[in-house]
Amino acid sequence: MKQIIIAKNIIKAYGEGQEKRNVLDGVSITVGQGEFLAVMGPSGCGKSTLLFALSGMDGIDSGSVTFEGQELSGLKEKEFADLLRRKMGFVFQQPAMLKNLNLLDNILLPAFRDNGKNAAGIKEKARALMKKTGIEELEERGMTQVSGGQLQRAGICRALMNDPVVIFGDEPTGALNSKSSQEIMDLFTQINREGTAVLLVTHDAKVAAQTERVLFMRDGKIVREMRLSKDLGNKITGDNVAERTRKITQTMAEIGG
Amino acid sequence: MYYRMIRNDMARSKVVTLTTMLFITAAAMLVSLAAILIIHLTGAIDTLMTQSKTPDFLQMHSGSVNEERLEAFAEENAAVEAYQLAEFLNVENNQILFNGRPLQGNVQDNGFSIQNETFDYLLDLDGKRINPLDGEVYVPISYRKEGIEAGDAALICGKEFTVAGFLRDSQMNSLLASSKRFLVRPNDYEELKPFGTIEYLIEFKLKNREALSLFEAAYAEAGLEANGPTLTYPLFVTLNAVSDGLMIAVILLISVLTVAIAFLCIRLTLLAKIEDDYREIGVMKAIGLRLSDMKKIYLSNYAVLAAMGSGLGYVLSLVFQDRLIENIRKTLGESQYGYAAPMLGAVGALLIFLAVTVYVNGVLNRFRKISPSEAIRFGNTQAKGKGSKGFRLSRNRRVNINVLLGVKDVLSRMGLYTTMLVIFILAVFIMLVPRNLYNTVASPAFTSYMGIGQCSIRMDLQKSGYGSEGGLGERAEAIAKTMESDDEIDRYVVLTTKVFEVITDTDNKERLKIELGDHSVFSVNYTQGRGPKTDDELAISVLNADELSKRTGDSLAVIIDGKEKHFTICGIYSDITNGGKTAKAVFSNSSAEEIWCVIYASLSDERNADRKVSEYRALFADVKVTGVDEFVSETFGATIAAVEKASVVAAGVAILVTGLVTLLFMQMLVAKDRYSIAVMKATGFHNSDIRHQYLARVIFVLAAGVLLGVFLANTLGEMLAGSVISSFGAASFQFIVDPIFSYLFCPLVLFGTVILAASAGTARAGSIRISDHIKE
Repeated sequence: MKQIIIAKNIIKAYGEGQEKRNVLDGVSITVGQGEFLAVMGPSGCGKSTLLFALSGMDGIDSGSVTFEGQELSGLKEKEFADLLRRKMGFVFQQPAMLKNLNLLDNILLPAFRDNGKNAAGIKEKARALMKKTGIEELEERGMTQVSGGQLQRAGICRALMNDPVVIFGDEPTGALNSKSSQEIMDLFTQINREGTAVLLVTHDAKVAAQTERVLFMRDGKIVREMRLSKDLGNKITGDNVAERTRKITQTMAEIGG
Repeated sequence: MYYRMIRNDMARSKVVTLTTMLFITAAAMLVSLAAILIIHLTGAIDTLMTQSKTPDFLQMHSGSVNEERLEAFAEENAAVEAYQLAEFLNVENNQILFNGRPLQGNVQDNGFSIQNETFDYLLDLDGKRINPLDGEVYVPISYRKEGIEAGDAALICGKEFTVAGFLRDSQMNSLLASSKRFLVRPNDYEELKPFGTIEYLIEFKLKNREALSLFEAAYAEAGLEANGPTLTYPLFVTLNAVSDGLMIAVILLISVLTVAIAFLCIRLTLLAKIEDDYREIGVMKAIGLRLSDMKKIYLSNYAVLAAMGSGLGYVLSLVFQDRLIENIRKTLGESQYGYAAPMLGAVGALLIFLAVTVYVNGVLNRFRKISPSEAIRFGNTQAKGKGSKGFRLSRNRRVNINVLLGVKDVLSRMGLYTTMLVIFILAVFIMLVPRNLYNTVASPAFTSYMGIGQCSIRMDLQKSGYGSEGGLGERAEAIAKTMESDDEIDRYVVLTTKVFEVITDTDNKERLKIELGDHSVFSVNYTQGRGPKTDDELAISVLNADELSKRTGDSLAVIIDGKEKHFTICGIYSDITNGGKTAKAVFSNSSAEEIWCVIYASLSDERNADRKVSEYRALFADVKVTGVDEFVSETFGATIAAVEKASVVAAGVAILVTGLVTLLFMQMLVAKDRYSIAVMKATGFHNSDIRHQYLARVIFVLAAGVLLGVFLANTLGEMLAGSVISSFGAASFQFIVDPIFSYLFCPLVLFGTVILAASAGTARAGSIRISDHIKE
């Protein structure tokens, strides 16, 4: 499997002097093409920071992160922004959207930056994505006129607009109820099956259970790794997922999360 | 606790605090300065006119006088307190030399007087009545600028004098007054007498100044000497006040605008702050803090700023006052109320402090509208932006996405940007109005607002120069003949002013000076109607129209050759010449008494004006020949220069204000929009994209501001400037716009300033880290 992200020995600290604390303390990780993985760990273990560091949105103090062979810290601001827009998609816990744009315009935003002249083409694509995620009726709605789950779907649509190589999800189901949460996970699974790598940060064992690799973090370090089969088995009964969830919960308990 | 909160707040937002304080300081300084100057100006005029015992009524008269009849009139009229007949010896300017240089080319009517006995004193610079010694001459204060100094040698009509000092003349101090009195000892005066022509100043001091108009009517009714302009006390006050009054008017105008800008800045920063603290305000409300307690926290912050700003502004006004009072001191002398000026200045600054506090208190009333539950849950107001519907990214075909997002933001947050828009409009206004005013005053066409046709040469023939009846007309004819055969003269016209009696609405008889001739050759600017074309039409000056209560279309009865003839008022015009009470008609008349004659001429090549003026001066030494440019520059030169200076300062202020406000606003906006910026960056927008969006916003607002500002400057500004101009005596007024400045330079400079300031203000937008604002 081709490795798209290779992170080696990342260290990132917050605070000054005696207060200084390594949030990421020598983390090394690789993400393969089309891989579906989750990062778990207790609050404050550094999992979100890891995600932001791997995407390059947050700088690191030492170590290296390469994306498709390019060292992220060596990129100029514009080169990085282009990479972020064209190759990566990001879904946040709270839908990070512009209040004065409607749902469709928010989804169009990254694609318009590059391809404004082909407005009809990208609009068609956005509508197809909205249909796929079940929000095709909501394109004219504003931020305050839709539910959290619907906003999160819109966020996923936006992340997919430029056909990214990888999608990062920072607790994408964290603010949703279990029904909406499962619908979003189904979407991620589908996206992953179509070839996009998905890297999720979550504290929900059931979410992690639906990926193929789970990394457990504690105190800024990856302390354990669990490989799962890509086949989730019988989705209707959810037996396989339930079993995996149980294992993950147990591991979490073992590492003290 | 308040102190700590204030200090923390100020340290956190240094630029905002400094800019707000700067505007409050400027506003307080200007208001205080205006107050100080008003006190000094009115006080100095009052002092001067009291010390010199200015007459209430002055009739200038050329020709012989019947002294006994005048004395009898003065004795019989109960309103008269004192009467005197003074002389003013008109001497040709080329007969007056200082340090070997003649006053030739000077447009003033220069003449000599002796000190008066009972009133209308000529004063020295200490306000004392001057008694010159033999061979001494005292020079009007306005000539000090010409480089004449005490001790200089003067040669007047071949007799040697020494300049003993300068004099203040409460009647003729102003450059706008066309005559200037030099003071000599009586025996020297007698020696000069053969070289000049005497003009009489028939002066009255009244027991009660309120009876002035009645007295004027009585004087006219008595048919006494009146061959010359009539001047009254209020006009002397106006003449003395105009130049410095104009400066005060400009300062007041700028201070009003600065106060407005200071308020807008406060509104902008305060609203932004309320929005920032929305959640905290909600919490405070939820835990039951009273509205007044919450207001106190914010109010104390601004009260400290206002107090510091007003205090500093007041101190600065005291520092700058001397420079601005200097001219008043020099020309008019010390004010008797000078001691009160700093107090009134302090009152002005205090008013600014109170106004700011009251205003902030008003803005803080918005707290009432904040719902605690909404504030705590959402952390901001849930009110939706208006005006951006239909402006969609998805419907865009051509516009650059950054421009589109920028404009969309402006349209969806109109309330926020309105403040900025208003400031830009004010800036354009401050830049354009003084400049257009300057351009108008400095334009050659401006004289036509003042009762002078737009020509190159003006020749004045006074009756006193030609003793015999008809002498004036003969001389004018001779000049006309010369002009007729002069190829360089393009057009000319002879206008003769004669005195007629008119019958007023109250059936009284009044004397009216009517200028006869073809008024279409060098037309003046008519406030209403047009110039006279037929024999039964009459145009009258604004002052006459006011006095006779006539409007265009009204009828006026004039007595010609003993018969009443009815004229239709066809037009009303502004006039500052000859006391401002004039009229124009085209009928011919040979019987009425003529008092003066004016010949206007234009040249086929205007560049030769100076040469032509000298040529005619040499040809007609007895006639006052004036180049109109010269006349304008001497009469209004100082005022034009002052207006130009004011316009430059105003433009500078406007640019500074625009730059500062843009910088302040952009910094605030970036701070406010951190989240949106983080979202943009997270979706892969470049830092430059984000900066371009902010530039697009501010440029869009500025474009609207420039359009509205130019429109307002040309409408409201014209009205405002018109009211200033009317203090010169010109009533109707239209801007002569400098298109390059108004439509090219001003917008370009403002756009340049805004782009620079916005770039500086948004420089830190790029350093906003996505993870700081999006990561949970």
